[in-house]
Amino acid sequence: MGEELKGQNLEVVTVAADAKGPDAAEAFIGTSKHPSLIDDKLQVAEMFDARNVPAAFWIDESGRMVRANDPVYAQRRNRETGEVSINNQYLDAVRDWVVNGGRSVHVMDSERLSSRLPALEPDDVLAAAHFHLGTYLALHGHADDAVVHFKRAHALRPENWTYKRQASSLGDIERDYGATFQEALKDPASGPFYPPLDLEGRG
Amino acid sequence: MSEATVLYQDRESKASFAEPEGDELWLTLAELKAVSGWELKPEGVCKDEICVPVPDHQPWTRLTDDRSEKLFNLSQFARHIGQPFAHDDANAVWYFGPAGWEWKDRLASRQAPDFALPDLFGKMHTLSELRGKKVFLLFWASW
Repeated sequence: MGEELKGQNLEVVTVAADAKGPDAAEAFIGTSKHPSLIDDKLQVAEMFDARNVPAAFWIDESGRMVRANDPVYAQRRNRETGEVSINNQYLDAVRDWVVNGGRSVHVMDSERLSSRLPALEPDDVLAAAHFHLGTYLALHGHADDAVVHFKRAHALRPENWTYKRQASSLGDIERDYGATFQEALKDPASGPFYPPLDLEGRG
Repeated sequence: MSEATVLYQDRESKASFAEPEGDELWLTLAELKAVSGWELKPEGVCKDEICVPVPDHQPWTRLTDDRSEKLFNLSQFARHIGQPFAHDDANAVWYFGPAGWEWKDRLASRQAPDFALPDLFGKMHTLSELRGKKVFLLFWASW
Protein backbone atom coordinates (compact mmCIF):
# COMPACT_ATOMS: atom_id res chain seq x y z
CA MET A 1 0.00 0.00 0.00
CA GLY A 2 2.79 2.38 0.85
CA GLU A 3 4.33 2.04 -2.54
CA GLU A 4 1.01 2.47 -4.31
CA LEU A 5 0.17 5.67 -2.50
CA LYS A 6 3.61 7.19 -2.03
CA GLY A 7 3.32 9.06 -5.28
CA GLN A 8 0.22 10.72 -3.87
CA ASN A 9 1.97 12.25 -0.89
CA LEU A 10 1.22 9.52 1.63
CA GLU A 11 3.97 8.24 3.86
CA VAL A 12 3.52 4.89 5.60
CA VAL A 13 5.39 4.51 8.88
CA THR A 14 5.28 1.36 10.95
CA VAL A 15 6.35 1.25 14.58
CA ALA A 16 7.15 -2.05 16.25
CA ALA A 17 5.96 -1.47 19.81
CA ASP A 18 7.76 -4.47 21.14
CA ALA A 19 10.13 -4.86 24.07
CA LYS A 20 12.03 -7.49 22.14
CA GLY A 21 13.02 -4.72 19.80
CA PRO A 22 14.99 -5.17 16.60
CA ASP A 23 15.36 -8.95 16.90
CA ALA A 24 11.64 -9.54 16.87
CA ALA A 25 10.94 -6.85 14.31
CA GLU A 26 13.56 -7.90 11.78
CA ALA A 27 11.86 -11.18 11.03
CA PHE A 28 8.69 -9.37 10.05
CA ILE A 29 9.88 -6.16 8.45
CA GLY A 30 11.91 -7.83 5.74
CA THR A 31 12.45 -5.63 2.75
CA SER A 32 9.75 -3.03 3.23
CA LYS A 33 10.57 0.35 1.79
CA HIS A 34 8.75 2.50 4.30
CA PRO A 35 10.32 3.67 7.57
CA SER A 36 10.03 0.71 9.95
CA LEU A 37 10.77 2.00 13.39
CA ILE A 38 11.49 0.30 16.68
CA ASP A 39 9.80 1.45 19.89
CA ASP A 40 11.26 -1.09 22.29
CA LYS A 41 10.45 0.92 25.40
CA LEU A 42 6.84 1.27 24.19
CA GLN A 43 7.01 4.95 25.06
CA VAL A 44 5.76 6.23 21.72
CA ALA A 45 2.93 3.68 21.68
CA GLU A 46 1.99 5.08 25.08
CA MET A 47 2.09 8.69 23.84
CA PHE A 48 -0.49 7.68 21.23
CA ASP A 49 -2.39 5.52 23.69
CA ALA A 50 -2.16 2.48 21.39
CA ARG A 51 -3.70 0.04 23.87
CA ASN A 52 -3.50 -2.88 21.53
CA VAL A 53 -1.81 -3.57 18.26
CA PRO A 54 -2.17 -3.18 15.39
CA ALA A 55 -3.30 0.40 15.95
CA ALA A 56 -3.42 2.82 13.02
CA PHE A 57 -3.38 6.61 13.07
CA TRP A 58 -3.92 9.00 10.16
CA ILE A 59 -2.03 12.27 10.43
CA ASP A 60 -2.61 15.11 7.98
CA GLU A 61 -0.08 17.41 6.34
CA SER A 62 -0.11 19.84 9.25
CA GLY A 63 0.58 17.12 11.82
CA ARG A 64 -2.99 16.77 13.10
CA MET A 65 -4.51 13.38 13.82
CA VAL A 66 -7.60 12.72 11.73
CA ARG A 67 -8.10 9.07 12.70
CA ALA A 68 -6.84 7.39 15.84
CA ASN A 69 -6.52 3.86 17.17
CA ASP A 70 -7.98 1.91 14.25
CA PRO A 71 -7.63 -1.79 15.08
CA VAL A 72 -6.76 -3.02 11.62
CA TYR A 73 -4.71 -5.55 9.83
CA ALA A 74 -4.37 -3.44 6.72
CA GLN A 75 -1.74 -5.87 5.62
CA ARG A 76 -1.14 -9.28 7.12
CA ARG A 77 1.65 -11.56 6.04
CA ASN A 78 1.17 -15.28 6.37
CA ARG A 79 4.12 -16.49 8.45
CA GLU A 80 4.62 -19.67 6.47
CA THR A 81 3.87 -18.70 2.90
CA GLY A 82 4.84 -15.02 3.05
CA GLU A 83 1.56 -14.26 1.31
CA VAL A 84 0.06 -10.88 2.09
CA SER A 85 -3.65 -10.41 2.66
CA ILE A 86 -5.06 -6.95 2.66
CA ASN A 87 -8.17 -5.58 4.29
CA ASN A 88 -9.56 -3.98 1.16
CA GLN A 89 -12.27 -2.02 2.88
CA TYR A 90 -9.70 -0.27 5.01
CA LEU A 91 -7.39 0.30 2.06
CA ASP A 92 -10.22 1.92 0.15
CA ALA A 93 -10.80 4.25 3.07
CA VAL A 94 -7.12 5.24 3.05
CA ARG A 95 -7.24 5.82 -0.70
CA ASP A 96 -10.31 7.96 -0.23
CA TRP A 97 -8.47 10.08 2.30
CA VAL A 98 -5.46 10.46 0.03
CA VAL A 99 -7.73 11.76 -2.72
CA ASN A 100 -10.21 13.81 -0.67
CA GLY A 101 -8.13 14.91 2.31
CA GLY A 102 -10.14 16.68 4.98
CA ARG A 103 -13.35 16.14 3.02
CA SER A 104 -13.13 12.37 3.30
CA VAL A 105 -16.02 10.81 5.24
CA HIS A 106 -13.47 8.76 7.10
CA VAL A 107 -11.85 11.77 8.75
CA MET A 108 -12.94 11.74 12.40
CA ASP A 109 -14.72 14.66 14.00
CA SER A 110 -13.63 15.89 17.43
CA GLU A 111 -16.12 13.73 19.29
CA ARG A 112 -14.99 10.52 17.70
CA LEU A 113 -11.35 11.40 18.04
CA SER A 114 -11.82 12.14 21.75
CA SER A 115 -13.52 8.80 22.25
CA ARG A 116 -10.50 7.09 20.68
CA LEU A 117 -8.07 9.17 22.73
CA PRO A 118 -9.56 9.47 26.21
CA ALA A 119 -7.89 11.73 28.77
CA LEU A 120 -5.40 9.93 30.97
CA GLU A 121 -6.05 9.47 34.68
CA PRO A 122 -3.62 8.78 37.53
CA ASP A 123 -4.39 5.05 37.39
CA ASP A 124 -3.47 4.98 33.70
CA VAL A 125 0.00 6.37 34.29
CA LEU A 126 0.47 4.26 37.42
CA ALA A 127 -0.42 1.13 35.44
CA ALA A 128 2.11 2.25 32.84
CA ALA A 129 4.79 2.70 35.51
CA HIS A 130 4.30 -0.85 36.78
CA PHE A 131 4.21 -2.15 33.21
CA HIS A 132 7.50 -0.45 32.34
CA LEU A 133 9.11 -1.63 35.56
CA GLY A 134 7.97 -5.20 34.86
CA THR A 135 9.30 -5.01 31.32
CA TYR A 136 12.67 -3.75 32.54
CA LEU A 137 12.93 -6.53 35.13
CA ALA A 138 11.96 -9.21 32.62
CA LEU A 139 14.52 -8.00 30.11
CA HIS A 140 17.26 -7.93 32.75
CA GLY A 141 16.96 -11.51 33.93
CA HIS A 142 14.27 -11.04 36.57
CA ALA A 143 11.19 -12.38 34.79
CA ASP A 144 9.80 -13.89 37.99
CA ASP A 145 10.01 -10.61 39.87
CA ALA A 146 8.33 -8.86 36.94
CA VAL A 147 5.10 -10.79 37.38
CA VAL A 148 3.78 -8.85 40.37
CA HIS A 149 4.22 -5.60 38.46
CA PHE A 150 2.52 -6.88 35.32
CA LYS A 151 -0.33 -8.09 37.49
CA ARG A 152 -0.63 -4.66 39.06
CA ALA A 153 -0.79 -3.08 35.61
CA HIS A 154 -3.47 -5.59 34.56
CA ALA A 155 -5.49 -4.93 37.70
CA LEU A 156 -5.37 -1.16 37.22
CA ARG A 157 -6.14 -1.31 33.51
CA PRO A 158 -7.83 -4.60 32.62
CA GLU A 159 -8.90 -3.34 29.19
CA ASN A 160 -5.32 -2.72 28.13
CA TRP A 161 -4.42 -5.76 26.08
CA THR A 162 -0.91 -4.54 25.31
CA TYR A 163 -0.08 -5.03 28.98
CA LYS A 164 -1.42 -8.57 28.92
CA ARG A 165 0.13 -9.63 25.64
CA GLN A 166 3.54 -8.20 26.41
CA ALA A 167 3.54 -9.85 29.84
CA SER A 168 2.71 -13.18 28.28
CA SER A 169 5.51 -12.85 25.75
CA LEU A 170 8.00 -12.16 28.52
CA GLY A 171 6.99 -14.88 30.94
CA ASP A 172 5.33 -18.23 31.47
CA ILE A 173 1.68 -17.40 31.09
CA GLU A 174 0.23 -20.59 32.42
CA ARG A 175 2.42 -20.64 35.50
CA ASP A 176 2.29 -16.93 36.26
CA TYR A 177 -1.12 -15.82 35.13
CA GLY A 178 -3.23 -18.95 34.96
CA ALA A 179 -4.80 -20.98 32.16
CA THR A 180 -7.83 -18.75 31.85
CA PHE A 181 -5.53 -15.83 31.01
CA GLN A 182 -3.92 -17.92 28.32
CA GLU A 183 -7.30 -18.83 26.86
CA ALA A 184 -8.41 -15.23 26.87
CA LEU A 185 -5.32 -14.22 24.94
CA LYS A 186 -5.83 -16.91 22.32
CA ASP A 187 -9.51 -16.22 21.84
CA PRO A 188 -10.08 -12.59 20.88
CA ALA A 189 -13.82 -13.15 20.99
CA SER A 190 -13.63 -13.71 24.73
CA GLY A 191 -13.19 -10.04 25.44
CA PRO A 192 -13.09 -6.57 23.91
CA PHE A 193 -9.78 -7.34 22.24
CA TYR A 194 -10.27 -4.77 19.53
CA PRO A 195 -12.89 -2.08 19.35
CA PRO A 196 -15.07 -2.58 16.29
CA LEU A 197 -13.60 -1.08 13.14
CA ASP A 198 -15.84 1.84 12.28
CA LEU A 199 -14.74 3.65 9.18
CA GLU A 200 -17.19 6.51 9.55
CA GLY A 201 -15.73 9.77 10.68
CA ARG A 202 -18.70 11.93 11.44
CA GLY A 203 -22.29 11.77 12.66
CA MET B 1 22.83 2.89 52.35
CA SER B 2 22.27 0.64 49.41
CA GLU B 3 22.55 0.80 45.68
CA ALA B 4 19.40 1.38 43.71
CA THR B 5 18.75 1.43 39.97
CA VAL B 6 16.59 4.41 39.08
CA LEU B 7 14.75 4.55 35.74
CA TYR B 8 13.76 8.17 35.38
CA GLN B 9 11.95 8.60 32.02
CA ASP B 10 14.78 8.20 29.51
CA ARG B 11 17.60 7.90 32.02
CA GLU B 12 18.88 4.81 33.76
CA SER B 13 21.21 5.47 36.70
CA LYS B 14 22.68 3.75 39.71
CA ALA B 15 22.35 5.58 43.01
CA SER B 16 24.85 4.28 45.55
CA PHE B 17 23.67 6.40 48.43
CA ALA B 18 19.98 5.81 47.96
CA GLU B 19 18.01 5.28 51.14
CA PRO B 20 14.72 3.63 50.26
CA GLU B 21 12.15 3.59 53.06
CA GLY B 22 9.03 1.83 51.87
CA ASP B 23 7.68 4.01 49.09
CA GLU B 24 10.08 6.85 49.83
CA LEU B 25 13.30 7.14 47.85
CA TRP B 26 15.81 9.45 49.52
CA LEU B 27 18.82 10.55 47.45
CA THR B 28 21.74 12.91 47.98
CA LEU B 29 21.46 16.19 46.10
CA ALA B 30 24.22 15.13 43.73
CA GLU B 31 22.37 11.92 42.99
CA LEU B 32 19.11 13.78 42.55
CA LYS B 33 20.65 15.70 39.68
CA ALA B 34 22.42 12.69 38.17
CA VAL B 35 19.33 10.50 38.34
CA SER B 36 16.60 12.95 37.36
CA GLY B 37 18.13 16.18 36.13
CA TRP B 38 16.39 18.13 38.93
CA GLU B 39 18.48 20.49 41.08
CA LEU B 40 17.63 22.09 44.39
CA LYS B 41 18.13 25.84 44.05
CA PRO B 42 17.04 28.85 46.14
CA GLU B 43 14.08 29.40 43.82
CA GLY B 44 12.97 25.78 44.06
CA VAL B 45 13.56 22.45 42.40
CA CYS B 46 14.63 23.22 38.86
CA LYS B 47 15.23 21.43 35.57
CA ASP B 48 15.66 23.07 32.18
CA GLU B 49 13.25 26.02 32.22
CA ILE B 50 10.98 24.67 34.94
CA CYS B 51 11.28 25.50 38.63
CA VAL B 52 8.92 23.98 41.16
CA PRO B 53 8.72 26.12 44.32
CA VAL B 54 9.34 24.22 47.54
CA PRO B 55 6.35 24.40 49.94
CA ASP B 56 6.99 26.20 53.22
CA HIS B 57 7.02 23.09 55.37
CA GLN B 58 9.95 21.68 53.36
CA PRO B 59 8.62 18.16 53.03
CA TRP B 60 11.16 16.96 50.52
CA THR B 61 14.47 17.29 52.32
CA ARG B 62 16.01 16.08 55.53
CA LEU B 63 19.53 15.70 56.87
CA THR B 64 21.46 12.45 57.15
CA ASP B 65 21.73 11.01 60.65
CA ASP B 66 25.17 12.55 61.16
CA ARG B 67 23.74 15.83 59.83
CA SER B 68 26.53 16.05 57.28
CA GLU B 69 24.45 15.92 54.14
CA LYS B 70 21.03 16.87 52.83
CA LEU B 71 18.83 14.16 51.36
CA PHE B 72 15.96 14.65 48.91
CA ASN B 73 12.78 12.58 48.81
CA LEU B 74 12.21 11.92 45.11
CA SER B 75 8.97 10.01 45.84
CA GLN B 76 7.34 12.89 47.66
CA PHE B 77 8.40 15.28 44.93
CA ALA B 78 6.92 12.90 42.35
CA ARG B 79 3.55 12.95 44.14
CA HIS B 80 3.65 16.72 44.17
CA ILE B 81 4.18 16.97 40.40
CA GLY B 82 1.66 14.24 39.55
CA GLN B 83 4.36 11.79 38.54
CA PRO B 84 3.61 8.06 38.87
CA PHE B 85 6.31 5.76 40.20
CA ALA B 86 6.77 2.10 41.05
CA HIS B 87 9.54 0.19 42.79
CA ASP B 88 10.72 -3.39 43.02
CA ASP B 89 12.37 -4.03 46.37
CA ALA B 90 13.72 -7.46 45.47
CA ASN B 91 15.99 -5.87 42.87
CA ALA B 92 16.11 -2.28 44.20
CA VAL B 93 14.76 -0.85 40.93
CA TRP B 94 12.68 2.32 40.84
CA TYR B 95 10.74 3.63 37.85
CA PHE B 96 9.49 7.23 37.55
CA GLY B 97 7.06 8.14 34.76
CA PRO B 98 6.03 11.45 33.22
CA ALA B 99 5.18 14.49 35.32
CA GLY B 100 1.56 15.62 35.49
CA TRP B 101 2.06 18.46 33.02
CA GLU B 102 3.22 15.87 30.48
CA TRP B 103 0.28 13.49 30.67
CA LYS B 104 -2.71 15.56 31.77
CA ASP B 105 -4.78 17.15 28.98
CA ARG B 106 -2.54 15.56 26.43
CA LEU B 107 -3.82 15.17 22.90
CA ALA B 108 -6.41 17.89 23.53
CA SER B 109 -5.14 19.80 20.51
CA ARG B 110 -5.36 16.79 18.14
CA GLN B 111 -1.76 17.47 17.21
CA ALA B 112 0.05 14.17 16.88
CA PRO B 113 2.92 14.02 19.40
CA ASP B 114 6.29 14.29 17.73
CA PHE B 115 8.73 11.49 18.38
CA ALA B 116 12.14 10.22 17.34
CA LEU B 117 12.70 6.49 16.87
CA PRO B 118 15.41 4.41 15.20
CA ASP B 119 14.88 2.07 12.28
CA LEU B 120 16.51 -1.35 12.02
CA PHE B 121 19.76 0.24 10.88
CA GLY B 122 19.84 2.62 13.82
CA LYS B 123 18.96 5.68 11.75
CA MET B 124 16.67 8.06 13.64
CA HIS B 125 13.37 9.20 12.14
CA THR B 126 10.97 11.81 13.47
CA LEU B 127 7.31 12.45 12.77
CA SER B 128 7.96 16.16 12.27
CA GLU B 129 10.27 15.48 9.32
CA LEU B 130 7.19 14.20 7.46
CA ARG B 131 5.27 17.43 7.89
CA GLY B 132 3.64 18.36 4.58
CA LYS B 133 2.69 14.75 3.80
CA LYS B 134 -0.17 12.61 4.91
CA VAL B 135 1.12 9.96 7.29
CA PHE B 136 -0.34 6.52 7.91
CA LEU B 137 1.17 5.46 11.23
CA LEU B 138 0.80 1.85 12.25
CA PHE B 139 1.80 0.38 15.62
CA TRP B 140 2.32 -3.39 15.62
CA ALA B 141 4.17 -6.08 17.55
CA SER B 142 5.48 -9.57 16.98
CA TRP B 143 3.19 -11.10 19.60
